[in-house]
Amino acid sequence: MIFSYNWLQSYFREKLPTPEKLAEILTMHSFENEYIEKKGSDYILSIDVLPDRAGDCFSHNGIAREISVLLNKKITYPKIKTKEILKDSILIDIENSDDCLRYTALIIKNVKIEESPKWLKERLEVCGINSINNIVDITNYVMLETGQPMHVFDYDKISGGIITRKAKKGEKISLLGGKECILDENVLIIADEEVPLAIAGIKGGKKAEITNETKNIVLESANFNHKLISTTARRLNIRTDASLRFEQNIDPNLTSYAIDRAASLIGLPSSTKIDVYKKKLKPWNIKINIDEINKTLGIDIPKKEVEKILKNLGFIVKENMVIEVPTYRQDVTIPENITEEVGRIYGYDKIPLTLPYFSEPAKINYDIFWQDKAKDIMKELGYSEVFGYSFIGDQEKNDFNLTVREIINPVSSYYKYLRPTIIPQLINFTKENLKYFDNVKIFELGKVFDKRERMVLSGAISSNNYLLIKSDILALFDKLGINKFSFGKDEIKIGKDVIGKVGIKSGITFFEIDFEKIQKNAIDNKEYKHVSYHPIASRDISGLIDENTEIEEIVSKIKNIDLVKSVEVFDVFKGKNVPPGKKSISLTINLQSEEKTLDGEIIDEIITKIKKTINWEERK
Amino acid sequence: MDIESIRKEALDNLKQIKNKEDLDLFKKDYLGKKGKIREFFSSIKDLPIEEKKTLGQKINQLASEIEEIFLLKEKNFNKEEKEEIDLTLPAKPTELGSLHPITQVKREMERIFQLMGFSVVEGPEIEDEWYNFDALNIPEGHPARDALSLGKTFYLKGGNLLRTQTSSAQVRYIEKMKPPIRIIVPGKVYRYEKTDASHETNFFHLEGLLVDENVSVANLKAVLKKFLEEFFKREVDIRLRPSYFPFTEPSFEVDMLCTVCDGKGCSACKRTGWVEILGSGIVHPNVIKNGGLDPKKYKGFAFGLSIDRPTMMNYKINDIRLFHSGNLNFLKQF
Repeated sequence: MIFSYNWLQSYFREKLPTPEKLAEILTMHSFENEYIEKKGSDYILSIDVLPDRAGDCFSHNGIAREISVLLNKKITYPKIKTKEILKDSILIDIENSDDCLRYTALIIKNVKIEESPKWLKERLEVCGINSINNIVDITNYVMLETGQPMHVFDYDKISGGIITRKAKKGEKISLLGGKECILDENVLIIADEEVPLAIAGIKGGKKAEITNETKNIVLESANFNHKLISTTARRLNIRTDASLRFEQNIDPNLTSYAIDRAASLIGLPSSTKIDVYKKKLKPWNIKINIDEINKTLGIDIPKKEVEKILKNLGFIVKENMVIEVPTYRQDVTIPENITEEVGRIYGYDKIPLTLPYFSEPAKINYDIFWQDKAKDIMKELGYSEVFGYSFIGDQEKNDFNLTVREIINPVSSYYKYLRPTIIPQLINFTKENLKYFDNVKIFELGKVFDKRERMVLSGAISSNNYLLIKSDILALFDKLGINKFSFGKDEIKIGKDVIGKVGIKSGITFFEIDFEKIQKNAIDNKEYKHVSYHPIASRDISGLIDENTEIEEIVSKIKNIDLVKSVEVFDVFKGKNVPPGKKSISLTINLQSEEKTLDGEIIDEIITKIKKTINWEERK
Repeated sequence: MDIESIRKEALDNLKQIKNKEDLDLFKKDYLGKKGKIREFFSSIKDLPIEEKKTLGQKINQLASEIEEIFLLKEKNFNKEEKEEIDLTLPAKPTELGSLHPITQVKREMERIFQLMGFSVVEGPEIEDEWYNFDALNIPEGHPARDALSLGKTFYLKGGNLLRTQTSSAQVRYIEKMKPPIRIIVPGKVYRYEKTDASHETNFFHLEGLLVDENVSVANLKAVLKKFLEEFFKREVDIRLRPSYFPFTEPSFEVDMLCTVCDGKGCSACKRTGWVEILGSGIVHPNVIKNGGLDPKKYKGFAFGLSIDRPTMMNYKINDIRLFHSGNLNFLKQF
């Protein structure tokens, strides 16, 4: 919101600090200053009034009140002189006092519509409002000064009285500026006996518009339900200086002050105020406890000081620390609000730094522990960590035939689903990076969304060598202390549970593993294995095994035999020279003892044992 | 053969040896188990004792003489075999893996808060309206609810939404834990944004919460200053400015004295000397109540900061979109 420095100065006899200094004080105690700009002999202060204070501080009166408290300077509000002598009156009717809390009107006759005086035009210009004519300008001026939006109708163009009511479905209004608007029963309007005159709190209509020929006017100063105005303004997509204020909690007691101020500025005799105000808003009480305030702030502000701050802000301090809140501070409803008022005015910078007492040590989060560990291992294995969006589009959905959860309001059609897998993104990233790198190895440990939200570890490499991926998975599992797992054709299993998959697409090999299942089986506990210094004896054997026997099974059986250190498979084939129902397999068996160098006799014995264990058939 | 001729023959041979293989052969021929010197020893075993003694001594002398020369020669050969190197030649860069800069910064933040007794917890990314809004004192019809829910929140078909801040975990943990509660909640959050160099739809937040019987703004100030000093590894000045969040009262914006210009004003701090770093406040009594605790007995402070922004400050990254780009030219730098 824009404020005029000179206007703010006009509330004080004493000189205000420089615009920069003033802005800094406001930033530290009230609202942040966004920028300062010199405009003629004045300065524009752009102040970011906090949303809960819009009710009283979208006005020069409100900011001046803050300044007077912060600088401890006496504030003088403008003097109001009205001459309510005209006998005229107009019928005002409020259909529902929950929609229109108050409607105050005033008739002024024999006005002369003309250009505004220079001072008025200048004030409006600094605040970014165009000058229209002397009367409209005064209502805008009063809005900037008091925060109360006002409207003015041509008295002679109103048929009968004024009613605030909900519009009828299909009812039309021509708005100021020319736009035609079709209304419905959710829109609150100001109407005469015939047609709508204005959309309440948002914008006036053509019917009773002020023109150069206007002689007699009706001033409107009303208060509407802020939620209603806010939804209507959004729905109709019309935002005005009036709607901006009416969307906030403005004090309904402000209407009569504002209308008097406007009449006083117009300076002509007026009718008496016609005021419909059924449920008068009265000040309310909050009981506070000074010790509690000081305990929350962590400081010791004397009672006198607290009282002074609250009085300056317009609160009334009654007996037993009961605080009466003025109706322009509808944001203050609980003791904590008072704590904030005291704290900010006193100065947050005066609060010392006190570390909280030590209570108990932080608990280790094992989810994060294993995530970190897995990430570190992937890095050791030469993978780079990437982050993909949690969103995918139709391309990924169709290419991978995915079942997905849809976002109602996506930023773009490329991001309209939640990803149920990271693989499509890893493949895309790999392809992109191959433009700059010979080899790509990437991984992500992140959330995917299918029936539920879960964590997966996925990786991709830029070659179609699934055994490289297998080696990496073996290393990963070894480092995570996972030992009870097995491989299927393209699956990784723990027991019968499939915990991951490996695949190849467009020459890129990838894997994805359910991380929660990894974590459940991971052990952070290594046991030292005896290191043998005796030589390793290697034997290559080739033979036939049953076609359906899985290599993995053979290997694990052999590994369980005493003195077998490791087994490597270097050839598997079927077909030519291999009898049907069989496959040929070639293995290197490495043997090592912890106690002695193995001699030929023992080696032969073990090989025979191996062949027996796995139903080995010699090739003919 | 006499000693002298063996000596001459051996030394002549040694002189002519040009490579390691010949030297090994020589060793076998003369110094080995079946070499000429051994052979000579065996040839004198039948001589009378006195003669055997003098001759034996001479053979020993000869043996050590030859061996000495032999070792010298062997040492020379070994020296010659050393490979020549030239470090001025170009080398291929080693291919290393890397961790995402956000991961590294997140870990650092977690480490610092853990040192101060804050446990790290996580919450779900798919939230319901209660935990994301209502529980945080942002009821339907509240202007802040409208600002967040209408403009900034992703909604899912079949109900629920993507959390707009990790604060949504606050009430979940107040419900679950017994005071004193000291937690941080790092994680991914989502906002409907037009993306540009400083706006993203997927980014990271870290929420902090301390609930206990006595909690003050003074505690909040001390914890945050300590954190920022540990994180930026330097002395840090902070200031609290009044702010407004529905889930805290009082609410503060926390600024840090600009580390680039030390408060003199530069482009990094938009000439103000201060950088806005996080939002914080004393937990609103309604939030404590929504977590099932008595706000008369328990108070708390909460703060929320972006992980992306300090990461950008730390590494001088100028485009937030790089984080989700998958671009290894970027990611491998960290």
